[in-house]
Amino acid sequence: MSRIFRFFIAIALVSGVLLYAISSLNSEQGYSGENTLTIYNWGDYIDADLINRFEKETGMKVIYETFDSNEAMMTKIKQGGTHYDIAIPSEYMIDKMRKEKLLVQLDHSKLPNLKYIDKRFMDLPFDPKNHFSVPYFWGTVGITYNPKMLNGKEIDSWSDLWDPELKNQILLVDGAREVIGMGLNSLGYSLNDTDKGHLLEAKNKLDSLTPNVKAIVGDEIRLLLENQEAAVGLVWSGVASEIMAENEDLEYVVPKEGSNLWFDNMVIPKTAKNVDGAHQFINYMLDPKIAAQNTEYVSYSTPNKAALQYLPKEMVEDERFYPSSELTEKLEVYENLGKENLAYYNELFLQFKMHRK
Amino acid sequence: MYDFKGFTLDWYKELFQDTRLLIIVLNTIVVALLAALISTMIGVLGALAIHMARKRNTKNALLSLNNVLIVSPDVIIGASFLILFTMAGIKLGFYSVLLSHIAFCIPIVVLMVLPKLSEMSPSLIDAARDLGASGWDVFSKVIIPYISPGIFAGFFMALTYSFDDFAVTFFVTGNGFSTLSVEIYSLARRGISLHINALSALLFLFTMLLVVVYYFISKRNKPNGMGVGK
Repeated sequence: MSRIFRFFIAIALVSGVLLYAISSLNSEQGYSGENTLTIYNWGDYIDADLINRFEKETGMKVIYETFDSNEAMMTKIKQGGTHYDIAIPSEYMIDKMRKEKLLVQLDHSKLPNLKYIDKRFMDLPFDPKNHFSVPYFWGTVGITYNPKMLNGKEIDSWSDLWDPELKNQILLVDGAREVIGMGLNSLGYSLNDTDKGHLLEAKNKLDSLTPNVKAIVGDEIRLLLENQEAAVGLVWSGVASEIMAENEDLEYVVPKEGSNLWFDNMVIPKTAKNVDGAHQFINYMLDPKIAAQNTEYVSYSTPNKAALQYLPKEMVEDERFYPSSELTEKLEVYENLGKENLAYYNELFLQFKMHRK
Repeated sequence: MYDFKGFTLDWYKELFQDTRLLIIVLNTIVVALLAALISTMIGVLGALAIHMARKRNTKNALLSLNNVLIVSPDVIIGASFLILFTMAGIKLGFYSVLLSHIAFCIPIVVLMVLPKLSEMSPSLIDAARDLGASGWDVFSKVIIPYISPGIFAGFFMALTYSFDDFAVTFFVTGNGFSTLSVEIYSLARRGISLHINALSALLFLFTMLLVVVYYFISKRNKPNGMGVGK
């Protein structure tokens, strides 16, 4: 008995010491106390230095929490029990949260820096007049390829993917809208097309791509492309910029037929306790210099027009990540097509996946 | 990680500068220790209760109830806890994680301790009673020493279960509290930085150290005899 007893006491003591260490670390960081701001963001999606500066400037303490998918984030916010002041979901989720009344309407008078945001990225269908959200980063869907593995061949359009030379070389992301969208774009239709005839046509076109498709994968597409397991991949621009930083041979291109334009926007969830502080934070992040520093860290494309002048030239002039206005006109934001149409997209995508070879 | 150029300690330096991550590591360890400790205590009592149940049916019913948490998938347990905690008005954070970990560790402890109990000869207790031991004496000087290997095994099983649990924790973390598995998972979107690898290396060394220490302690204690100890 005494042995077990001593052992348990030792464990309890160790836990006590650790708890004390945590609480002292926490108070050293200022995580306790009233004047806090809780941010719920994707992992490693902000320059931590900026948070420190915000804390110094406002005296507020920032608690930074991370999520891994829009769905997980929405569940946490909808279920309650948390009080996030800021969240950064993607555009389709904002539409959904807006309709489920999970968001606080923004007070634009408290966001003077909103004027720096490029007009192209404001007032989009997922949030008309930006009542609920402010753009944080944006990007495109495009093709990453490895010219070295293709003997210097260049790709600049969706139709290039149907080249028989690319046999068993293409990786696709496992997303119905992305893949069916590729089929629609290559035929010159809109990404938000709901005409069943057009969709079927796109699906048939995709079926003829199957000899070239090596696999349809999730997040592991990053590693597969980086390690040159396949020469071509359908990816988001954010993923592309990260893997290009790891493997310099890779290239990224937004196909000339047009593609998808996506956003991650800052919103204030209904559960927020510090709505005023949240406005201050959004306004702070919209400051051109701050936005520029954040962009350099995250390396996604910033919607902040005034921030571009503070960024290195080769970054801003990189047409792969800041496409020309001519091309951006062809880019489309996914619209919420309603349950029925989405189900049809998923159905077609499933058929396409089963059709493989 | 694409091309290996040489050795460096930079990532360790970065790791120790990341206070947020260190807090998360400590959180994970504390939750694991406390959850294992408390669930061991409850689990031992639970195993005793099951063992001493007179009727066969009661015993079976209790055992099946105990197994519910083991057979049901983690995701279901996690989602149920999330609903329970939010309905009961418990704020998500340290206590919600600790409570849920205790809950899913208890059945494991019970299962580790039960075989030891049924292996114990009932005449041991009768003999102790015969020699004038009180109920507490029987419990603390006969039963507990006999089943202590089971208790330790249960404790360490619970510790590892709690330490690497992802699915349940994922649902019940919140309000600035997070554990290592959840944090690493949410880094996945932007690729995992190498200081996570550095952290894994340190944790591995730490557990190895614990195992070695445990080995020496148990070796030193051996001559005390097996079964009934001091």
